[in-house]
Amino acid sequence: MAEAGVSKGILKGVIKFTAILGAGFILLAVFKKMLPLPTEDGYRFFPLIGSRDWIWIVAQLHLNFAAFVLGVPLFAVTMEYIGWKKKDERLDRIAYDFTKLFTLAYTVTAVMGSVFLVSLPLLYPKFVEYMMKILGPTWWLYLVVMYGEVFVCYYYFYSWRKMKDRKGFHIAQGVLLNLLGATLLLITSAWVGFMTTPAGVNADGELLSRWGAIHTHMWIPLFLHRFIANIVFGAGIAAAYAAFRFITAKTDEEKAYYDWMGYTSAIISIGVSLLLPGVGYLLGVEIYSFNEQMGIQLMGGFFAWLWVMQAILIGAILFFINYYLWLSLHKMPGGERYFKYVKFLFIVLLLGYAVWLTPHDVALSLEEARRTGTYHPALGKLGVMAAKNTAVILSYLATFLSFAIFRMSNKEPTVSWAKTGHRARAIIIVVSAAGVLAIGIYSYVVSAAVRVKVLSPIQFGLFFIALIALYVLDNYMYKGARIIGEPRWGKMPERSQYALIAITVTFTWLMGMLGYMRAGARQYWHVYGIMKNTSPDAYLPTHGYASVVVTIVTLVFLALVSLVFWSIMKLEKFAAEKRANS
Amino acid sequence: MKKGVVKLAIIIISLNLIFLYIGLKFLPQSESRPPKVVKIEEGISPDDLIHVGEEIVFGKGQCMVCHPAKAESGMRAPAMSTIGVEMEKEAKERGVKPEEHVFEALVNPSKYIVKGFEDIMSPVNKPPTSLTDGEIIAVAAYLQSQGGKVTIAYPASLPQLKDQIAKAGGK
Repeated sequence: MAEAGVSKGILKGVIKFTAILGAGFILLAVFKKMLPLPTEDGYRFFPLIGSRDWIWIVAQLHLNFAAFVLGVPLFAVTMEYIGWKKKDERLDRIAYDFTKLFTLAYTVTAVMGSVFLVSLPLLYPKFVEYMMKILGPTWWLYLVVMYGEVFVCYYYFYSWRKMKDRKGFHIAQGVLLNLLGATLLLITSAWVGFMTTPAGVNADGELLSRWGAIHTHMWIPLFLHRFIANIVFGAGIAAAYAAFRFITAKTDEEKAYYDWMGYTSAIISIGVSLLLPGVGYLLGVEIYSFNEQMGIQLMGGFFAWLWVMQAILIGAILFFINYYLWLSLHKMPGGERYFKYVKFLFIVLLLGYAVWLTPHDVALSLEEARRTGTYHPALGKLGVMAAKNTAVILSYLATFLSFAIFRMSNKEPTVSWAKTGHRARAIIIVVSAAGVLAIGIYSYVVSAAVRVKVLSPIQFGLFFIALIALYVLDNYMYKGARIIGEPRWGKMPERSQYALIAITVTFTWLMGMLGYMRAGARQYWHVYGIMKNTSPDAYLPTHGYASVVVTIVTLVFLALVSLVFWSIMKLEKFAAEKRANS
Repeated sequence: MKKGVVKLAIIIISLNLIFLYIGLKFLPQSESRPPKVVKIEEGISPDDLIHVGEEIVFGKGQCMVCHPAKAESGMRAPAMSTIGVEMEKEAKERGVKPEEHVFEALVNPSKYIVKGFEDIMSPVNKPPTSLTDGEIIAVAAYLQSQGGKVTIAYPASLPQLKDQIAKAGGK
C-alpha cells in the first residue's frame, strides 16, 4: 500500500471510488426496473427484516465508518505537525499509522455509502424525491467534495515518505483534507437538520428558501456535536487498533510503541469527549427552541430510559479509562506513591455512577402517568438533571485527576514553591468540587429554565476552569522536574489493553443508540411536522428491539474494523517481504 | 497471539451481550405508535367528551410531556389537576368568556402566558400535534373539568373554536 508511487496511488484510489459509486448508480437503475412499483404512498418493502431496519443498519454502519474517516485525519495531522515542530520521529510514525488506518477505512465507508445510495431511493422513493426537491443541489455538492476528499486523502497518504523534507506543504494537505471532511459533515448535517427541525418551507412543505432549509435550528449544533464525537470515536478506534497490535506484538519494541500509541489515542479520545456535554447542550437548546415538545419528548418522554442506558454506557467508559490509567501507574517509576489515592477516586466514580443511573420517573403509558406522577416513587428527586449533572461533572473531575496523577507520577517538582503548589492544587480540587455540588443542590429550588440556561452552564464552566487551572499549575510546577525514571512503555498487563478495547466497543454501542434516539425524535414523521411517515414501520420499537439492532450494528462494524486491522497487518508483512527481496 | 485475539473476541461479544441484556431485561418495553384520529359523535354526553379529552391529553396530545399531573417545584407548565379552576380565574381577570380563554390557550398559546411560565407551547391544531376540531373541543372540556365549570360541548362550541383559530391566523 505505502510502496506505490504518488500518482499511481491517487489514480488507484479515484478509480476504486468511481467504480464503487458507479456500481451503486447502476444497481439503483437496474433494481428500479426489476422491482415492482412503490405503493401509492411511496414505499417498497425490504424482505424479511423490513425497510426501516435495513436502512437503520446500513445508515448507522456508514455513519460509524464516516465518523472514523472524518475524525482520525484531524489528530493525524495534529500529530504530524507536533512531530515536525518537536522533531519527534515517534509522533510522525503514529500520524502515519493513523493515516494508514483511515485511508484503508475509506474503501469500506464508500462501500457502505453505496449500499445506502441504492437502498434509500428504492425503499423510500417519495421521501427521497421530496428531499431532492428541497436540498438536491447540496447532494451534488456532496459528491464533488467527496471526490476532492478522496483525491487529497490518497495524495496525503502516498506522498508521506516523498515529502518528508517538505513537511509544511504535506501538513497543508492534511489541513485541506480536514477542511473537506468538515464540509462533508456540514452538508450531511444540513440534511438531518432539515428532517428533524425543518425550516425554509411552508406548512404544505413547499420550498420557500433553500438557504432557510439548510440553515435550520439543528444544523450547526449537530455539525459541532458530530465533529467532536467523530474525533472521540476516531481516537477510540485508533486506541483499539493499538491495543490489538499490542496484544499481537512479537517484540518488546513493538509492544512499547503500541502501548504508547494506545495511551495517546485513549487520552485524546477521553480528553476531547469532555467537550461533548457542552456541544450536546447547544444541540439540546436548539431542539428546545425549535419545538419544546420535541425536546422534552426526547429528554424525558419515550426516550427517557435510554438516557439511563446512556449513563450506564458513559459511566462504563469512565470506569474503563480510569482502570487503564490506574494500571498505567505500574509502569511509571514512582507511580506507587499514588496508589493510595485510587480508592478515593473509585468511591467518587461509584457514587457518581449510582446517582447518574437513578431514573427520573417516566410515564410510558396513561395508567403509569396517573399512578406514579413525575418523579420516581421510591427515589424521588434523586433522578432529576440537577443531581445527574453534578454526578457527571464530579466523575469527569475524578477521571481528570487519574490522568493528572499518571502524568506526574514519575516526576518530582524542583521549584521552590512546590509545597504551595501542592496546596493550591488541593484547594482547586476541593473548591471546584464543592462549588459544583452546591450549584447542584441549589438547582433543585429554581425553575427548569434557570437550571438549564444559567446554573448548568455555570457548573460546566466551573469544571473547565478547574481543569485549566490544574493543567496550567502542573505544567509550571513540573517544569524542569526531577525525573524519577522514564515510563516503561510496553510493560503493561494485557488486561489494560482489553480496557482500551472495551472503551471502543462501548462507545460504538453508545453511538448507535444515540443515532437511533436522534432519528427517533421525529417519531412518525420523515420530515417533522411536514411529511408524515405512513409506512407500516411508522412507530418507535421497544427499547429491547432497538438494543438488538444496535448490538447487530456494533458487532458488524467491529468485525469490519477488525478486517481493516488485519488487512493493514497483511499489507505491512507483504511490504516488508518485498523490501527484503529487493 | 491467537489466545489474545480469542480473548479479545470474547470481550467484544460479551460486552455487547451485556448491553443487549440490559436493553432487553432492565428497560421498560413499550412501543410508541402514531396516534389514531379520535372520532367524536355529534351530541356526545359531557362525561364522555371529558373522557375522550383525558385520553387525548395523556396520549396523542402529549400534554403530559410538559404539564405535570400535580403542582411541583420547577414545573415547565401549569399542573393539570387545577388547570380548570386556574383558567376560569384567568378568564375572569381578562374579561373574556371561559370557553374563549381555553380555546385560545390551545390554538394560540402565545397570546396569553400564565405568570411564572415561558412561551413554550405550540398550537395544538398545527403539526406535529395536529388535533382535529373535535379533539380540541374534547381536550378543552377536560381542562375545564379540572376544578372548573364545564361549559364546552360538541358540536355546540365549534363556532367559538373556529373564531379563535381565525383570530390566530389559521384556516
